[in-house]
Amino acid sequence: MWYKLTIPLILCFVMGLLAFVHEFVPHPWSAAFREEMTTWFRIMGGFAMFIGLYALLHLHVSRIRRQQAGWGYSAFVFLGAVLTIGAGVFEEIRAAVHDVPESAFSPFDWLYDYVQVPCQATVFSILAFFMASAAFRTFRARNLGAALLLISAVVVMFGRVPISEEVGRLAGAWDIFPRAADWLMEYPNMAVKRAIYIGISLGAISQSLRVLFGIERSYLGGGS
Amino acid sequence: MAAPQETTSRSRRTVELVVLAVLFVAFAGASAAGKRPANAPDDWWVTRLGVVIAAGLTLIMYSFLYRDNPLFKMAENLFVGVALGYGVILTWRQSLKPEIIDPLFIDPPHLHAFWMELARRSAPIVLGALLLTRISRRAGWLSRYSYTLMVGWGAGLSIPITIHTYVLQQLKPSLGLVSKVLGDAPAGQQASFWSTALPVLGDLIILAGIVSVLFYFFFSVEHKGAGSFVSQLGIWFLMVSFGASFGNTVMGRVSLLIGRMRFLLHDWLGLGP
Amino acid sequence: MSSPPSQAALRRLAVTRRIIYLLVAIAVAVPTLSDLACDFKPSPWAEKVFKKVESLKPGSPILLSFDFDPAAMEELHPMGLALLRHCFKNDLHPILMTHWPSGVGISKQIIEKAAKERGKVSGKDYVFLGFKPGDYNLILNMGESLQGAFDKDFYKQPTQGMPALEGVRSLKDIPLVIDLAAGTAIEMWIAYGRDRFGFDLGAGCTAVITPDLYPFLSSGQLIGVLGGLRGAADYETLLKRPDRATKGMQAQSSTHVLIILLILGANVHYLSRRMGAYAKG
Repeated sequence: MWYKLTIPLILCFVMGLLAFVHEFVPHPWSAAFREEMTTWFRIMGGFAMFIGLYALLHLHVSRIRRQQAGWGYSAFVFLGAVLTIGAGVFEEIRAAVHDVPESAFSPFDWLYDYVQVPCQATVFSILAFFMASAAFRTFRARNLGAALLLISAVVVMFGRVPISEEVGRLAGAWDIFPRAADWLMEYPNMAVKRAIYIGISLGAISQSLRVLFGIERSYLGGGS
Repeated sequence: MAAPQETTSRSRRTVELVVLAVLFVAFAGASAAGKRPANAPDDWWVTRLGVVIAAGLTLIMYSFLYRDNPLFKMAENLFVGVALGYGVILTWRQSLKPEIIDPLFIDPPHLHAFWMELARRSAPIVLGALLLTRISRRAGWLSRYSYTLMVGWGAGLSIPITIHTYVLQQLKPSLGLVSKVLGDAPAGQQASFWSTALPVLGDLIILAGIVSVLFYFFFSVEHKGAGSFVSQLGIWFLMVSFGASFGNTVMGRVSLLIGRMRFLLHDWLGLGP
Repeated sequence: MSSPPSQAALRRLAVTRRIIYLLVAIAVAVPTLSDLACDFKPSPWAEKVFKKVESLKPGSPILLSFDFDPAAMEELHPMGLALLRHCFKNDLHPILMTHWPSGVGISKQIIEKAAKERGKVSGKDYVFLGFKPGDYNLILNMGESLQGAFDKDFYKQPTQGMPALEGVRSLKDIPLVIDLAAGTAIEMWIAYGRDRFGFDLGAGCTAVITPDLYPFLSSGQLIGVLGGLRGAADYETLLKRPDRATKGMQAQSSTHVLIILLILGANVHYLSRRMGAYAKG
């Protein structure tokens, strides 16, 4: 139906055209338009959090309802969410009822500092062990490409730590390894990243044009 | 009689449970050994309890190195729930309440101000509420009005910005090679062969890298003859870059491990300087 | 087609894996427990960021955007603390914000710790704006009106007329912005902030994304970068205030050397086997 698909696509095109054109219009109305639109989208961004909340909770509720493998663990998601949201709501009510000094105990911050922070910080640090093990088991100079990768990795890993300066001093040039690492980063690595950025940006421009012209519609979601 | 594999699995599980019990006792002992610092505030025990819980969760997360286990899964899901709750409350406190509730119901001194604020904010509030209809199968089409405005704005804005930031600004220094070759030496400096040649050599390497990598990713043309060499050169550059990225990734992960180790040894156990 | 590994091979693999984990843990723990000094020269890019902050006059505003969450805390927390200590030492007026809701708690910890050390007061000497959603829309908003984007700070004080924001109406009035990021926020600041509003932009980032920023360093879109824990240690060294990052460098050295030795050892073994097989014909 035209109001479910055609009008949204027209709105997308018009908004995109206005966003594109206003970049080249120095008139104060153009700046005012940008300020108004960015304010709108800033406020709308706050609502988007609740879609994420619903999606995650729905996933775990379905898991519990269908008693899928590991459904018991989903209860911990609810436990964590209820405790944290409850702590946050308690603090909002407390602040509304009477003045709370900054030094007052905050159960909300406590949960963040002693549950979220250690868990989130630890999850990625586990990768250090996996990387060491994987590097030992699989990192082999089977051909020229693999050898280049290996040499580059070793040079960067060694050049970026202080012990390389000590070793360099013994060899008579304290900065040879750091300079080698810097050279690798500033020349071949930089060239590759620049090429990748140019390539990605050309793709992104083409994708933006596809969105504006209604060719790319995946963001509209399912249904008619 | 149980099959040999079942017996091995059961005996292994028993050993694991015994080891877990011993580790738990060791953990409790190490946590209890923490001394109260001099001049500690009265609520020091709250912080200490938090450190003990954080240390426990850290060690449970590290138990994944042995193998995936129920304790790890519980901690992981608990963390997901807490992170979700934290995000919701922060979004309410920092975005929705100050942008919608306070201007409309808490701050305005009189009715006129309320209507002015409502007029200003009605469009984003309605569009934001329409976003939430995404979760409904029947009314989900309403959310398209909000999404198309956001996506259209982002797409339209990104075209000139992407061209400027990622294409023109990136091509400019690469094309500066010509001015370096043809230009004069900086004022007050005597141009020697090496002072001119080395930067030019470096820029040639960069130019060769950019062209060869871009060519490698250009799949519309068959890479044969001279093209094959250029493509192979691109692969070599890519390998060097991936190696540098790998080295930095190792550095990053090790840094995270160092931080957690410092927390366990220093903050929890009170060891080290 | 190769046959699946035997039970014995799988057990050997599991034991080798756990020995490596133990070695890594020892390589990190032993230097962490020791108090060995560690001398190193800061990188040129870290020096550029330091010199730029140093060049700002007392009372100048400086915007710090802490766009990271607890996953990147161990690298970026020391960096943020060193930057704020530098700002307060030079009597600058830091304006702190974040694009990540999960980064609010860490940002608050860092600025309150740094401010307490120097007796700095919120609203008078610094501003903590907190978090707002919107990403690039927020940057564009701030580019037109900072007080419009954040009408109150994190502590619910109105930003209009705040002494710490004197003379600052938008990003155009801020000479230097430093973004500490674990994701793509730096590129967002370059594209929607620096290239549009003309301020100088410095970056601090996790080691993982440091290689991605070199094109922007080369083009001058970034004035400098602090990469990972080493970048934080460089900044602490320049500030002459070694702290957690500098203390972590010994453990970083020992672990890197261990991993390099593991890789080299495995490759020497592999190449010698290959040469042996080649010699046999």
